Amino acid sequence: MLVIPAIDIVGGKCVRLTQGDFAKSTLYSANPADVAKDFERQGTRFLHVVDLDGARTGFPVNSETILSIAKSVGIPIQIGGGIRSYDQARGYLEGGVSKIVLGTAVIENPKMLERVSRDFGKSRVTVSVDIKDGNAATCGWLKKSTETAPALIAALKKIGIASVIVTDTSKDGLLQGPNFGLTKLFIDEGFETIAAGGVTSLSDIREFTKLGAYGVIVGKAIYENKIDMRNAQREAAYKSSLAKRIIPCLDVKNGRVVKGTYFTNLRDAGDPVALGKKYCQQGADELILLDIAATLESRKTFCDLVSAIAREISIPFTVGGGITTIEDIRKLLSVGADKVSIGTAAVRNPRFIKDAAAYFGSQCIVISIDAKRQNEDFIIYIKGGTEKTEMDAVAFSKQMAQYGAGELLVNSLDRDGTQKGFDVELLKRVTDSVSIPVIASSGAGSMRDFLTVFEKTNVDAALGASIFHSQEKSIMELKRFLSSNNIPIRL
Amino acid sequence: MIAIINYKAGNVASVKNALERLGSACTVTSDPEEILSADGVIFPGQGRAGAALSELQKARIDTVIPRITKPFLGICLGMQLLGRFSEEDNTKCLEVFQGISRKFPPTLKTPHLGWNKAELTKKSPLTAGITNGSYFYFVHSYYMDATEDQTAGTTSYGFDFTSIMQKDNFFAVQFHPEKSGAQGLRLLTNFYELCL
Repeated sequence: MLVIPAIDIVGGKCVRLTQGDFAKSTLYSANPADVAKDFERQGTRFLHVVDLDGARTGFPVNSETILSIAKSVGIPIQIGGGIRSYDQARGYLEGGVSKIVLGTAVIENPKMLERVSRDFGKSRVTVSVDIKDGNAATCGWLKKSTETAPALIAALKKIGIASVIVTDTSKDGLLQGPNFGLTKLFIDEGFETIAAGGVTSLSDIREFTKLGAYGVIVGKAIYENKIDMRNAQREAAYKSSLAKRIIPCLDVKNGRVVKGTYFTNLRDAGDPVALGKKYCQQGADELILLDIAATLESRKTFCDLVSAIAREISIPFTVGGGITTIEDIRKLLSVGADKVSIGTAAVRNPRFIKDAAAYFGSQCIVISIDAKRQNEDFIIYIKGGTEKTEMDAVAFSKQMAQYGAGELLVNSLDRDGTQKGFDVELLKRVTDSVSIPVIASSGAGSMRDFLTVFEKTNVDAALGASIFHSQEKSIMELKRFLSSNNIPIRL
Repeated sequence: MIAIINYKAGNVASVKNALERLGSACTVTSDPEEILSADGVIFPGQGRAGAALSELQKARIDTVIPRITKPFLGICLGMQLLGRFSEEDNTKCLEVFQGISRKFPPTLKTPHLGWNKAELTKKSPLTAGITNGSYFYFVHSYYMDATEDQTAGTTSYGFDFTSIMQKDNFFAVQFHPEKSGAQGLRLLTNFYELCL
């Protein structure tokens, strides 16, 4: 999350107001550019500048001062206050300002917004939503409108706004803490949200980081040394020590592990219990077992096999193949599976996934997707890659995430068994469209293939079968290689 | 004898497998008497907070848990149910711990799933012999926002959250020790030894 200092300008000078009241202003510096440079030296990555005279009068008043700030620092700045016309917006955007901040009055003037977005890009416009006592305030906070927050959200979405600054003006400048609930409302609606108003302490900053805010604007607290810029940035830093997972997959037919190309030409690769145990000892992060025959007759022996493997390993265990009912899932979980992988049944009956996730929890529902390139798109196949559907893989992934799937296992029929590397394009498209974990599958032929898929896509795990069964590379060897190339790995 | 609380929503098979591998005698039960008389209690969890809590109420275990004086270990949802409140289904929980369970923000991939590190922030018999920063297996969409005095370990996912808790005889972990390889088995061994 960005910690963004505010520079408020009245008459060319840097001031702070309390609750937007021009009568209650404090002068901080006669030279705003010096203030900006000072923030830059402290490691600030973004600045928020407001032309307060502009906000009050309805047209830019301090634009010269502001453009000189933009020129004097090497970090991006955003500017708000009095921007009502396309030409005013252009003046700033061409003069070195990264982003303009418009008021909610833009809802009544979407033509100007459209033109700015078209010529300069959507990412260079943000809307400042000022809420006072639950209603939106516009025009220098002096006028109060009757729009409520939910009504505003709908209106902003309608005109295509993606980024907002949310201020509870009744909290601003009081150093009494911000309004978290209001900010959360916008974050949950999918806006890139910057919180402002009343940010007083490091714990406020920690709280906004937890809420998932894009940034937080700090004003008075920083000028009055209530918050130290460096500490604030440490509090706002994104931290994660989650490791990428390496998952061996056992395809089982008649009680034996098999390997093959394009789901055919199967060859024997060993005993599943012995292999599962070996991979667990070699440092596998998880184990997947798929019943590729999945006939009714094989079901009972398959359950015995799941139970036998579960007793031998102490890592997560995903089981799949032929699952079509809630009862199938219950049975497999009861004999020791932690998660189930569902393929064909999810495509034929998406509602089944909704029911399964509601019943067992998302954490144990993995959706296995078999996709194949068709022109520019990727199309879903079912029944072990033998039957083509009309469904788009990316759209289907989104639907599954929405229905409560906990994870996606993405197989590429173009790459399966070829050992030519993962399908980076397919995996990129899927990971970009969902916010649940994704496992890359199909095509792993070398250690470098694993490195590539982690470097080029946002997948959380990668699966290998033949590469491990053939004893070409051990799992620990692969994990050491990835770790030495700066991929976070559990060793 | 260690009692593993069974309340339908929990995945008890893997906890039982792990304890048996350690040579511990255990029983899977939802009988309040059996739970109260056991040498130690494990409270595993999976599924949703609301449904799990109503199953506990049906079996009349909800009032038994806070009274237990033997070593008690909550796992995953089993840890969250020990707090005051969970945002999941707006569930009032058992209040053994002070914390509340909150949803991860939409900016993070949810569930938080996979192997992540636990930083040990306080000495606890549960984590004796475990290296600081060891990996454990997590899968959850809500995290415990706990008080510092009840936190024994934290994990980073977007920010630091509480992943190991202790208050007197009550221990809890957000990860699944039964699925966390050698370090997880070590933690379960520590717990088992506390029950002897």
